[in-house]
Amino acid sequence: MNKPKNVFIQGAITPEFIADSIAKHQTKTSIGAHNIFLGQVRADTIEDKTVTSIIYSAYEEMANKAFHTIRERIFEQYEITCMHIYHSLGEVKAGEICLFVFVSAPHRKIVFEALEAIVEAIKAEAPVFGKELFDNETHQWKVNQ
Amino acid sequence: MNHKLHIKYFGQIAEITGKSFEIISSDSISIEELVKNLTESYPSLRDQEFKVAVDHEIKSKSSQISHDAEIALLPPFAGG
Repeated sequence: MNKPKNVFIQGAITPEFIADSIAKHQTKTSIGAHNIFLGQVRADTIEDKTVTSIIYSAYEEMANKAFHTIRERIFEQYEITCMHIYHSLGEVKAGEICLFVFVSAPHRKIVFEALEAIVEAIKAEAPVFGKELFDNETHQWKVNQ
Repeated sequence: MNHKLHIKYFGQIAEITGKSFEIISSDSISIEELVKNLTESYPSLRDQEFKVAVDHEIKSKSSQISHDAEIALLPPFAGG
């Protein structure tokens, strides 16, 4: 088994980073379909307070193992060519990207199914925590639905 | 026999304990007993939902910890 890779990036995932990832796949010409999920921080309003950013933290070793397990499982279940997962740590402001999942295969059907499976697994299995900061200096802890 | 348990706290759990980790020594102990002991030290844990991982794997309440281990108290996940 390969060693788990580090999935975490400090701060927001930039549009440039995402564009660069797409560009890197242009040499992989067996690929006919990419599918991308981008998680964006929402400015939720709760009782007159609005979320301005989320500070992400994680149990990094366990999370990287969880991401690795998800990766191995998805490769077994779906005939994909490659997949990449990046998740933010630290502060990500409302409107910025905190999760980038990128999956590629020769044909489209597989990537639609695989991407959904990966994102749902991340939400359920990765020990990542989010502190939602409000515009009045208070905070609450995010819980995945 | 005594074991060293490295206990890590995350998210809202770390807010309650006021620390991100501590080391305790313990005889062989079940997760349920360990949580009971920790709740005596940090009563607000009672109101929190969390899972317990032993050496990076989530374990059930009845699991026994009978070696030096890394324990983590994990509040609800919020990735993505």
